[in-house]
Amino acid sequence: MEPAAPSDVDALVEHLFRHSAGQMVSRLARWLGSARLDLAEEAVQDALVRALQTWPFGGVPTEPGAWLFQVARHRALDLIRRDVALRGKLDLLESATPEAGVREQELGNDELAMMFMCCHPSLPHAGRIALTLKTVGGFGVAEIAAAFLAEPDAIAQRLVRAKRQIREQEIAIEIPRPDELGARLESVLDVLYLLFNEGYAAHGGENLVRADLCGEAIRLAAILARNPATDVPAVHSLLALMLLQASRLPARVDEAGDLLLLSEQDRARWDHGLIAEGMDHLECAASGSEVTPYHVEAAIAAAHAVARDEASTNWPWIVHLYDDLLALKPSPVVELNRAIALAMADGPAAGIAAIERIEADPALARYYLLPAALGGLWLKLGDPIRATYHYREALTRSCSAPERRFLEKQLAKSCRG
Amino acid sequence: MAKFLVLARGTGQAYANRSPQEMQQVVQKYMAWTAGLRDAGRMIHSERLKADGRVVRGSAGKMTVTDGPFAESKEVIGGFWLLEASSYEEVQAFLKDHPHLEAGTLEVRQIWDM
Repeated sequence: MEPAAPSDVDALVEHLFRHSAGQMVSRLARWLGSARLDLAEEAVQDALVRALQTWPFGGVPTEPGAWLFQVARHRALDLIRRDVALRGKLDLLESATPEAGVREQELGNDELAMMFMCCHPSLPHAGRIALTLKTVGGFGVAEIAAAFLAEPDAIAQRLVRAKRQIREQEIAIEIPRPDELGARLESVLDVLYLLFNEGYAAHGGENLVRADLCGEAIRLAAILARNPATDVPAVHSLLALMLLQASRLPARVDEAGDLLLLSEQDRARWDHGLIAEGMDHLECAASGSEVTPYHVEAAIAAAHAVARDEASTNWPWIVHLYDDLLALKPSPVVELNRAIALAMADGPAAGIAAIERIEADPALARYYLLPAALGGLWLKLGDPIRATYHYREALTRSCSAPERRFLEKQLAKSCRG
Repeated sequence: MAKFLVLARGTGQAYANRSPQEMQQVVQKYMAWTAGLRDAGRMIHSERLKADGRVVRGSAGKMTVTDGPFAESKEVIGGFWLLEASSYEEVQAFLKDHPHLEAGTLEVRQIWDM
């Protein structure tokens, strides 16, 4: 083992263990085959424990990632030696596993191949999400449970079932052939989009793990965008969408952790680095003829990102984009967002009329944003009594703690009339 | 200024089922403690001990060597820090918020200065 450098509190990059775990599991499992995913995970976990046992005394190695990988690799070889069924593959594995010096691109390929396995369309939807976070993301079972407000046992069960299915159906850890890449990629993007939205909804809340989902979804989408096999417009548009949305996160809550409306946000606090990055990817996304819902959503996010304030935002353009989005992906939630944009373009009464048309949709029956939007629009129209009614209704529906505080604040405002 | 040996009992195996993120947080707490001691100019040396060892016994010229010691994992000495302090009280002040106490115990011995 290489000599340890003097230990330093800052020597560890944020999320080093989590990201290294994802990379190492992907790499080892790709060598061992998807049927030995558990063995790869065990070897990696052991390497992390070894780091925890030695670094406090010896200091952080000069290349922590390479150190971890080397230990995990040795541990995997140890575990294989004990496994009679695998012993025949040992020579192959020993020669095929380089000591260290793994190139960035190779790691990207491993993670990419692993993402495709985790998001395989024949796996149940919930299993894909849990598996992606566990194996590529390096999240723990308890963290995944916390992120999805589920019981750890339920998540563990999901993982066991998904892995069994992978073994039985012999789903390989590989980048799909070009002829099936499109459909397989769609399933990967689906999972990343969901991870991001879960995290976005929770940002600023007490649940920090949930907020981490945003960063993880962006990290994984960036791996896709960097890789020549998946460097396609749909990937860039999803990445653009996530970067542009994430740019607003620093301004989305005030110092007390309370949610701020778009109109209340200090736009100087938007992350302009992320906006620039998002715009670059939006440009890459425009290279093909294909228009995905991600393209349109990214264009909506971009319209907000370039506006100086709410008043100078091009609302008619945003309404138009929502029409495009509805044509591609009809959904009552998109209808609701269109109605809110319409209220900005044509006035609150037009927005209220549009919301009333979708109010009875069962898909929105538990969605707090519908009555919350009505409350806001009635308040703008100068009808605090109606606003109060809708805010009360919104508070009966499930939402995060910061969202709840926001609704209570709005309710108090309407009660004061 | 006297020298003190701080023996860490417990191997960290207690953290084996934690998530990577949690394990990194544990490591960072140790690093922060060590850095604090080094910045104060009190750290002399530290080492991690391997889990396996040998016990050597002998009488009348006959030496026997056995594997061991096999203590319970929470009793095994996982590593040590050698540090400088003016008194046991000061060492205790250093150890007050030591991250090792979350998963093991610390034994402090003063080095006998001849």
